[in-house]
Amino acid sequence: MISEVSVLYFAKGAELTGLKSETVKLPSELTTLQLWQELEGRHPKLSVIREQVVLAVRQEYVALGDQSVSLRDGDEVAVIPPLSGG
Amino acid sequence: MTEDVDSPRDLIKLTHEKLSSDVVSTSVTCPSCGAISMFIGTTRDTFEGQKVIQLEYEAYVPMAELEMKKICTSIRAEWPTVRHICIQHRLGVVPVMEASVIVGISSPHRADSLEAVRFCIDTLKATVPIWKKEVYETEEASWKQNKECLWSVAGKK
Repeated sequence: MISEVSVLYFAKGAELTGLKSETVKLPSELTTLQLWQELEGRHPKLSVIREQVVLAVRQEYVALGDQSVSLRDGDEVAVIPPLSGG
Repeated sequence: MTEDVDSPRDLIKLTHEKLSSDVVSTSVTCPSCGAISMFIGTTRDTFEGQKVIQLEYEAYVPMAELEMKKICTSIRAEWPTVRHICIQHRLGVVPVMEASVIVGISSPHRADSLEAVRFCIDTLKATVPIWKKEVYETEEASWKQNKECLWSVAGKK
């Protein structure tokens, strides 16, 4: 199963990909690490932030790892570099 | 019917407009509260000796609002006497020395709102998806990392 999700990039992530957002077809069931690897595969420059990044799936943080996620059409995924608000 | 002016309010705002501490303190004022505690975060003009000429903030707005609401919920669980909470964060270009963030919290007595303000700004730096870029005199720029953020270089140590 494949889902079409929108992926958002911010800060350093947006600079590295040259994108603020894109629509991507991804496997509907995968781990958070595999999700990251899919994105890094599309944008190899993202590798420089691999050690300092988490993802947000449907606006909830997930660390890169073996936790599985289910993606549905229209879901929102975001690449979240280290925060610097305040 | 007029709204009960003293019922608890969680006021959250992300804005490109200049922030006003007067607006924040007024928004959390209430007749039964003897304390309004405030934190104002301002932009600095230097970083490790380099002159900063511009600062720029961006946010994942809907998720930032969600995370700020979670902070309000945590505050109310920990300090039940807290009455009103106002958190404002500025986005876009923020000139040096202007406020990037203002927190205002009211409570009947000062201890609760003082502690809650500290918790609020510390947690905001750790969990709210907002990013700051510093642009230096040399025209170089750098995305900052809060040490409170668990996946930053400092946060992972």
